[in-house]
Formats: sequence, structure tokens, C-alpha cells
Amino acid sequence: MRLLIDKWLLLIVFVLILIGLVSVYSSTSVVTPDVLEKGQESGKQVSPFGFLKKQLFTLCVGIFALFLAYKIRLNHLKILTIPLLIISLICLLLVFTSLGVSAGGARRWIRAWPTVFQPSELVKLSIVIFMAWFLSSKYFNRDSIRSFFIPIGILVVFQLLLIKQRDFGAVMSLGVLTVTLLFIGGVRLKYICLLGLVSLPFIVKLALEPYRLKRITSFIDPWKDPLGSGFQLVQSFIALGSGGITGVGLGEGKQKLSYLPEIHTDFIFALIGEELGFVGTVVVILLFILFLMRGMWIAKNSHDSFSTYLAYGITFMISYQALINFLVVTGMIPTKGLPLPFISYGGSSLFVNMTAVGILLNVAKVNKQQRLLQTQSQPLTNKEHFQLYIPLTNNDVKDGVFIKPFYCFNRKTNTIV
Amino acid sequence: MHHRTIIISIVLMIGFIAVTLRLVDIMIINHDYYLNKAKGQQVKSEEIPVKRGLILDRKGRELAINLDTESVYSDSAEVKSIDETATKLASVINQKPEIIKTKLDTNKRFAWIERKIDFEHSQKIKELKLRGIGVITEPKRFYPKGSLASHIIGYVDIDNKGLEGAEERFERFLTASPAKTVVMRDAKGNILSEGHQREIKGNNVVLTIDEGLQYIVEKNLELVMKERKAASATAIMMEPHTGEILAMASLPNYDLNSPSSSTPSTRRNRAITDIYEPGSTYKIIVGVSALQEGIVNTEMKFDCSAGSVEVGGKRIKDAHRHGVLTFKEVIQKSSNVGTIKIGLKLGKEKVYEYSKLFGFGSKTGIDLIGEVSGILRHHSKWSGMSIGAISIGQEVGVTPLQVLRAYTVIANGGYLVRPHVLKEVRTPDNQVVFQSEIQKKRIISEEVSAVFRDILKTVTEDGGTAKEARVDGNLVAGKTGTAQVIDPKTKKYSKDKYISSFVGFVPADKPRFSLIVVVYEPKGAIYGGVVAGPVFRKIANESLSYLNILRDDADEKGLLVMTNQEQKSNTAR
Repeated sequence: MRLLIDKWLLLIVFVLILIGLVSVYSSTSVVTPDVLEKGQESGKQVSPFGFLKKQLFTLCVGIFALFLAYKIRLNHLKILTIPLLIISLICLLLVFTSLGVSAGGARRWIRAWPTVFQPSELVKLSIVIFMAWFLSSKYFNRDSIRSFFIPIGILVVFQLLLIKQRDFGAVMSLGVLTVTLLFIGGVRLKYICLLGLVSLPFIVKLALEPYRLKRITSFIDPWKDPLGSGFQLVQSFIALGSGGITGVGLGEGKQKLSYLPEIHTDFIFALIGEELGFVGTVVVILLFILFLMRGMWIAKNSHDSFSTYLAYGITFMISYQALINFLVVTGMIPTKGLPLPFISYGGSSLFVNMTAVGILLNVAKVNKQQRLLQTQSQPLTNKEHFQLYIPLTNNDVKDGVFIKPFYCFNRKTNTIV
Repeated sequence: MHHRTIIISIVLMIGFIAVTLRLVDIMIINHDYYLNKAKGQQVKSEEIPVKRGLILDRKGRELAINLDTESVYSDSAEVKSIDETATKLASVINQKPEIIKTKLDTNKRFAWIERKIDFEHSQKIKELKLRGIGVITEPKRFYPKGSLASHIIGYVDIDNKGLEGAEERFERFLTASPAKTVVMRDAKGNILSEGHQREIKGNNVVLTIDEGLQYIVEKNLELVMKERKAASATAIMMEPHTGEILAMASLPNYDLNSPSSSTPSTRRNRAITDIYEPGSTYKIIVGVSALQEGIVNTEMKFDCSAGSVEVGGKRIKDAHRHGVLTFKEVIQKSSNVGTIKIGLKLGKEKVYEYSKLFGFGSKTGIDLIGEVSGILRHHSKWSGMSIGAISIGQEVGVTPLQVLRAYTVIANGGYLVRPHVLKEVRTPDNQVVFQSEIQKKRIISEEVSAVFRDILKTVTEDGGTAKEARVDGNLVAGKTGTAQVIDPKTKKYSKDKYISSFVGFVPADKPRFSLIVVVYEPKGAIYGGVVAGPVFRKIANESLSYLNILRDDADEKGLLVMTNQEQKSNTAR
């Protein structure tokens, strides 16, 4: 039996996760006197493997989730769309209850034994699945302003909750992602322009909040206050800059010695730059470009609109996150708390992204199955029709192979013959 | 639909390319700039603390050592609440909170709060875990022998910089130039490098002082101070051939471990800083020069029966009336009249020339700080009576060390030596890096010195002035001195203030050390022979047995002195 899994995508993600594990270990294994003191205060045992172990645990859970997402039938996923959205909403609301956990001045997590979970990560995936479902459903009409504002309305609900949690990064990436999917879905550009005009005052108002304004001004000139608000960015530059072309060597970086805050999470790209140099950073960027290209290839090869939107959504979700993270670390956009997918330390992000990759692999698997069948089938005679190899009912497939010949799809009428 | 995804992917690709270009800018073009920034914060050039070298006596016994103590400092950038920190610190340190507050209230990243406290207190401060308050180890100078040889050793200030004595004089040996080392540190300032050089050790200074002899000298000076209720007392013991100072003590002295509680007068090294009129001890200058010049011989007779002599219109008397004295007897009995007659025979140019030759009126060049040159006026400025006064040790100002050195010339066969207290400098691993060179200059002939040695021997014999200075079994060559103190108010000789001294060397024929004892303002007895002589005897006696020196009469009495090894093998048998 031929392996139906997309080896290229799996390989790219595997390499990224491997780089992530090495970087997380490098950034957290140094037990400085400072760390030691903190550990003693909280009564925990300080071990150089503490963070790595946690990340490996998440990875195991993530692999399990990836496998489930790979195996689930896509039309079952379609059914799960609305429940997933509701679960995300509940999780997001739970943050405000006693289950919520705050850290670093923001309340973004909920307690989930044995660790904490960041619902905003789940929200991203839920929205992508929802959008894929919505865009491929009968409720969506690209020319209707009402069907444009339905997802926008849902988006705004989530965004308001995220603003309450001061997770501006998630608010922005979620917005960009939704609008991107609507754009791909083919909505009229004037709707998008209208949306931009309407949301502009809100964006300005949010941007002018003092703590955020400080971030923005320190982004414009980090050297103005290198010990205060510009500290993180300046330290990020120093990490990258001191790396040079080949880096100071794996594990040899010094910026992790309490210099660069969040070096193991949001700023892990700076650590890669410091230790592995320009070469290392370019390799990571190339891997994400490969991921983008492979994801788009999978999306393009999908034969139903749900899978297509799903594949595009997941591809763009992860690519956007990577790009925004790069832009933040290199000081091209203001600081936001967004992790680098697959690489940054952080359970929620890794878990959700691996689930997303599972779904993407699932789409690729179906594509492959169909292509296999297509080679067995008759060539098309009518350009208006093409054959569908999607199992529409449970009776169509047995042991991964179609038993019902095929359906015919009319492009003009969008109906199955 | 697909062309719109192409647009999105192009936007994404532009983003990735922009990031890459930005990385080229930061990581390659500005690499050196950021590398410097990184080094600047990650690497700290730290001064390596210098551990002061030890001061040792000639046998390697420790006179000044270092103890590790801890000092408390503050970092104003880290201190949260000045009031709270001050009150908490005040509960441990014995200081008022207000004073601590003023120390905390600076903008400095480093300010001392309290220095060199003991471990018990520093431990308590560490337990307080105050932000911005730190404790570092600092070596503190400690003098295990307390006040012993205090004037020679000296002490240091809070920063371990020498302030007095050898500590000040040999500063350049004891400290090393502070070096810097490069250490890694984290953002909180914690030092992360291990195994870097933690301290530089200064070289050890080995003095010529012998701790045992120093102790003997000081103990006996203390006794005479008590017995005679003297104002002060000084003694110097010197190796006659090399000029090495074996012991040098002045009383009152002070505790080196708490110099702040002493007064300046107790810190004065009277042996080199105080001048006095030497009196009779100076008579050898006239005597030696007359012999050296061949003007007299030892048996030449001088009529001292008048009991006085007139010089420049002033009459100078003898203490006791003598008859006709030979040259020898003039010195032995310390006759003023006889000495002045010799001086007059010599003439003032010669008296001045020999005084200069013996080192009076100029510094001896001892390697200690604060030495004075004394007073010796040029003969052209002398009055008519000066020749008489100077012959018997008046109208000149000398230090005890100058007198001792003059007698050492006779002891060592005619050489003027340079007294010194520094024997050698050793590195911490005991390599000799500096050795004091022995400087000596012949100023009188071997024969003259031998003749004079014999004359000085008679001083402690029957008929001499210092029978009290006689040492059991050994011949002593020496001379007494009793001088009046000039009252600074009346500018006249004080009626009741005297300076008694005895200077000499033992054993007389093969001198092992020369010694001077000066007692200032003794009460009761005043004569050098009576006051200083016994001290000389006691010090010499104890020192001789300390040094294991064979008695002069050992052969006569058939005494056997065993070396340590023989003793050991005897007991083993």
C-alpha cells in the first residue's frame, strides 16, 4: 500500500520542530544564579532540562493531535466547525473566571493540567475551520455584503474578548487572517475597503493606549531608551548582530543570560540568529517559505472548496505568524506577543499548530487518494464537467478506496451530476 | 480564487524577503557594531583584588598578615526603599539609620555602607536579602604580634594603603599593580566565568628584624620605663658588619591593630626622629680622630687634676675630680676635661671633619620614613666655646641611630655601614626578587678601631663608668652618656630632665651586635651607667643566649656549648 501522507510537508515541519527543540534547550538550559534563586524561592528544583521536558511532553500530545487530525474525515470536521467555535469561545471566557492564569501583566491563559493553555491559539484554528466551512457553504455569496459581515461579526466578538485580555497580537493576526480568507473567498474589494475605513478609528484608538503607544514609539527609536521600553528590541538587535554570518556557535550565545526577555518564546529567532548566524536564520525563513509553497500546492490540488479554504487558511495562519514574528524580532513592526510556530517554547502554540498541520496533511492525503483514482479513471470528455472523487456518503469508500465509480461535477452550475 | 491566493503569497514572499534584507543589514553590515555592543554588556573588565604581601621577620615569622573580612555595599539603582533598607541594616550594623540613609541616598551604582565587618554580621546581612545590598570579601590587614615592632612595621588605611613604617616605605613591594580580568556576566551583573584569576598577591617583605630580639628589647625597655618612670625609651640593636637592624624599639608604642586609638606621640619612631644631645657617648669622636690623626697615643697623659677647663670663656667641669689620666683613662672615666683637652689639640676643623665622617649631621639612610639628620653646625659658625662643648657631646643634635652607627664603626673594624630594616623581598612562592645591598665605607683604620675597642672594654671594668652594663661571661665594649635636656621654654638646660644612654657592642672582640639604649627623663638616678647600663646588660644577656653565642670565657671555664644537633643525638642515646 502506498503511503498517502505528504512526506514533504511532514519533513519541513519535522525539521522546524527539531530546530525548535534545540533552540529551546539552548535558551533555557543555562542555570544562571538568577534562575537558581528564583527556583529556590518557589521551592522548585532547577534543572537545565526543565523547559525541554515540558516542550517534549507537548510534542507528544501534539503528535497525537496531529494523528487524530490526519485521520478524521473532513466532512466530520465540517460538522465539528460550530462546536469548535463555541468551545473556543468558552475557553476564551474561562480566562476571566477563577481558572484564568495571568502572567507578565496579561491574563491570557487557563489552567489545563498539567500546564496552562492559551485559548487564543485555539481560536485561530477554529476561525480558520469556520471560515473554510462558511466560504464553502451555501450561506456564502461573494457579492452579498451580508455574507461578508457575518464572519466579521463573529471575528469582532472574539477580538473584543482578546482585547480584554490585552492580546493585541492575536487580535491583529486573527483579523488579518479572516480578511485574507474573505479575500481569497472572492468577496468584493470594496467591502474590504469599507471594512478598513470602519475599523480605522478603532485601530487608532487601540494604538494610542499608553502602554501600546510606548511599544510603538520604542519601536520607532529603540535606542532612545535602550534600558527601558526599547530594551527588548535593542537586545534582540544585539543578539542578531553579534551572530554575524555563521553565529557564535550553538549553545554559545550570551543574550539568553537574562539580557533578552522572552528569548525562549517570542524572541527565539534572535537566539537562532546569535548562535547559528545569518545562515541559521535564512534556513528557518526558507523552511517557512517551503511550508508556504507546499501548503499552497496542497490547497490548489484540493478538489472541494472546503478543503481548499481549509488548506489555504492553515497555510496562511502559520505563515502569517512566522512572518509577524520575524518582523517583530527584526524591529520592523512593534512588539507583540506572538510565538514563532513550531520553534518557540510554548505548549498551546505547538499543540494547535501541529493539529493544524494534521488537518493539512489530511487534505493532502485526500488529494493523493483522488489523484490515484483519477489515473485509474476515464479522461474527461467535457470541459464543463470534471470528476469528483470525494466520498459523499459513507458507502462510497471502503478501506481508503472508492467503491462507487465517481460523481460528475458541472462547473457552470456547480451541481453534482 | 487562485489568483487572489497568488497575491497573498506574493505579499508574504515580499515580507520574507524584507526580513532577509533586514537581517543582512543587522547581521552582516552592522555585525561589528552589535558585536561591540554585546561585548560591552556581556563582558566586564573587572579589577582583580590585590592581596597585600606579608611582612616577615628575618626568620620568616609573620609580622603582618591578611584576614578575610566582608564589606557591605549598596547599588542605588537596585535599592527599593531607602528608609526600609536603612532601618533593616541598622538593626545589624552598629550604626544609626540616619547615617546609613545618607550613604544609601546617592546615585552611585556602588557605595560602601560598612567595611570590614566580621562574618557573623555579614551573614545576618545576607540573610536579610535586601535588594541592592551586597557583601564582598575584602582582605584586612592584621598584626598578630599587636604592638611589637609597631614603629617599624607601621599600618595601613581602610583601602590597605600603607600609612607608616615598612607598610608605607615598602608599599611598592607589598602591593602589585592592579590588573584587570575579563569576566562573563549576565544581565543582572552576576559573574558567570569560573576559574579566572581571583587575586593578585603582592610580594612578601622580609625584614632584618628578629622577632625574638625585638621582644627582648621591648620587654626590657618596658621594665626600665616602669622602674625609672621615664618619659620614653629607645633601643636599637644592629648587626655591626652589615648594618642590619635586628631590633628597634621605642616606648611608648601602640597597637597596630587599632592605630586610630593611638596618639601621634606614641606613633613616633624616636630612634630615628628624635634628636638629643648625646653627651659623653660623643666623646669617642674626638678620641678616635685623635688616634687616627696620630696626635695622641693610648698612654699619653692628660692633666685633669684641675677638675675643670676653660674654653671660650666658659668653664666646664668634671663630674668627679680626676688626677692625671692617660688617654685610655680619659675615655674610660669619661673625663670632660681630658676630652676637651684632646679636642683642643685636634682643632675645630678636625673635630667637625670627623663628626661628619661618622655620619653626624646627615641622615643614616635607613629605609624607614621620617628620619631626621640631626644638628651639626659647620665649624665656621662655631663660637669660641663650641669646640669644648662639641667634644663632650653638647651643641650637637643626634639621633640614637646615628650614635649607634658611630659605635658600630669601632665594632666592625672601621666601616661606616648603612643601617637598614629590609632584608629581602620574596615572591609569594618564595623566590627572592630583591635583596638589600650592604653598603659600607672605611672611615678609620683597622688598628685604630682595634685600639679603641680595647679602650671601650675598660668602660665596664672596674674603674669604668658602666660596671652595671657588664655582661656575664662576655666582654662588653661601650660608653655611657648622660645629657641634660634643653627646656624648650627657657632655652636653658633643664635642672631635672636628663637623657641617660649606653651604647656598645658584644662580645667586644668579635661583636655580634651593637646596641644602644636611651632612656629619656628617668626619675631618681640619671647617670647613663646606672639607668641605661643595666638595661643594656639585660638585653645583651638575654640576646646572647637567644642567639646561642659562646661565652668569651667558655674556654677558660671549660664550658661546653652543644649545638642543637649534638643535643638531639645526646638525648637520643
